[in-house]
Amino acid sequence: MGNISIKLFGKTLRNPVFNASGTLGYGVEIEPLWSVETMGAYVTKGLSIRPHHGNPTPRVWEERHGMINSIGLQNVGVDRFFDTYLPFFRKKRLPIIVNFFGFTEDEYVACAEKIKPDRLIVALEMNLSCPNIKAGGISFGKEPSMVFKIVKKVKGVTKIPLFAKLTPEVKNIVDIAKAACDAGADGLTLINTMPAAAFDAKKKSIPLKGGLSGPVLKPISLRAVHECSKAVSVPIIGVGGIMDAMDAVSFFMAGARAVQIGTATFIDPYAIPKIIKEISDYLDANGIKKIDDIVRTAHGK
Amino acid sequence: MDDIEGKILSNSSIAPGYHLLRIRLSRSMGTVRPGQFIMMKIPDGGVFLRRPFSIYDYQQGILTVMYKIVGKGTEQLSKASKGTSVLTLGPLGRWFTVDRRNIPVVIAGGIGFAGIYSLIKKLQGKASIFFGCSSKEEIPLLRDAVRFDPLIATLDGSYGFKGNVVQLFKNHLKGLKGKNVEIFTCGPVNMVKSIKGLIVPHKIPCQVLLEERMACGMGLCFGCVMKTTDAEEPYKRVCKEGPVFNLWEISL
Repeated sequence: MGNISIKLFGKTLRNPVFNASGTLGYGVEIEPLWSVETMGAYVTKGLSIRPHHGNPTPRVWEERHGMINSIGLQNVGVDRFFDTYLPFFRKKRLPIIVNFFGFTEDEYVACAEKIKPDRLIVALEMNLSCPNIKAGGISFGKEPSMVFKIVKKVKGVTKIPLFAKLTPEVKNIVDIAKAACDAGADGLTLINTMPAAAFDAKKKSIPLKGGLSGPVLKPISLRAVHECSKAVSVPIIGVGGIMDAMDAVSFFMAGARAVQIGTATFIDPYAIPKIIKEISDYLDANGIKKIDDIVRTAHGK
Repeated sequence: MDDIEGKILSNSSIAPGYHLLRIRLSRSMGTVRPGQFIMMKIPDGGVFLRRPFSIYDYQQGILTVMYKIVGKGTEQLSKASKGTSVLTLGPLGRWFTVDRRNIPVVIAGGIGFAGIYSLIKKLQGKASIFFGCSSKEEIPLLRDAVRFDPLIATLDGSYGFKGNVVQLFKNHLKGLKGKNVEIFTCGPVNMVKSIKGLIVPHKIPCQVLLEERMACGMGLCFGCVMKTTDAEEPYKRVCKEGPVFNLWEISL
């Protein structure tokens, strides 16, 4: 089996495949099927400074080539996550990426400040798709100036490398990416779900509004990765609609250093281990020595 | 719990809008307990996510599922013919627990019977069974429980007691006074609510099997929650902390 390990911020990860935040529970739930340390790193469910209850049901809705979710960022809070689950990942020696969010700038800062550097933590991943209550409910991630300000503040309180996870629902994602990097982001996670609405024509109702995910998102995500990786030099994690190894390879070629798998796990709970194995098979079959040799190979084409 | 391939042995209509599906699994599901479920899909069948189904019966490698056609997924499933491949992830979720010191009472509404039949079977006639449905057309759902003498209510009065199953159960509540009764129930939310209203003064223990839209079925996505009385973390996953809940711990 080919070597598919990657280096990220000085840490060696087994492979470039992680779960997307919130699609693999707290990491423990998948254990009956496969060991979570099969992945290069585990990305935590989005954590906030205080526990957050999330939304009432329905929270999920099927679409033809994807799904809409409106979980509402339910989580046990950053303190309880570290008390309850960190020992599990420590025992497994599985590096983690800590995804976090806030409803105000202060909450983002407080949450980032709370997470102390730890050998196990590869990076923080800042979810920039939350509604900013102070700015009247618009997302933190939509204006380059707002992104710059909040990323700068968070960078001021943490020594842990920081990924900014961006929403695709913006005028120009490259401008947002640049703003995040100018403010000191050490990497980008592209992209979050796309705002969407489910519609029930029989009942003439909208059962839920939420984020669209799944294969329908892949071309949007690939474009974001391709364009942003041309504009900035920081590592990019590609996420959005990856269903198999060839999808993942497309993301590497487009400029991603690693990928995250989300909705695919709901279709096939073994999607992640299968994709990891098939990426390795792909490298072997094509005589490629390491993942980085195919990263950005689609640039200029 | 694992993802197991199966082949459809039969998929026949048992009442208008209701089907009984039998699947031969390629390997064992392990121990299946009453109230557990599977996530099932027909590969490349035009449906994106899997669908949750109660395990109606499982023996000698054959899994039986009773289902009602309610949407796109079950519509598609109802057209699947013998020999079609399916994928079944399971058994999933927390099950009914039986305290032998209690007298079991089962209350099922409509297709809720599909979720609770495995418990009825396990109790082998020890339970008093109350079943409610719209009309006599749905009585064939009870096919395997007839031997346990269920009491039946139909909303239109075309069979048995005229009214809903909770009214029928209410008529028998007096006879249970002073006994250590435990209720096991599955059915429409309104039925469960009215059971709760009825037994509040009696403080009867009650386990309820709930259903909810699911994406993963194994606790990964937090898409299928039920609000509970837990102040710290009210929303519990129906697929993981359920689908069987203590009625007194959920907020209906």
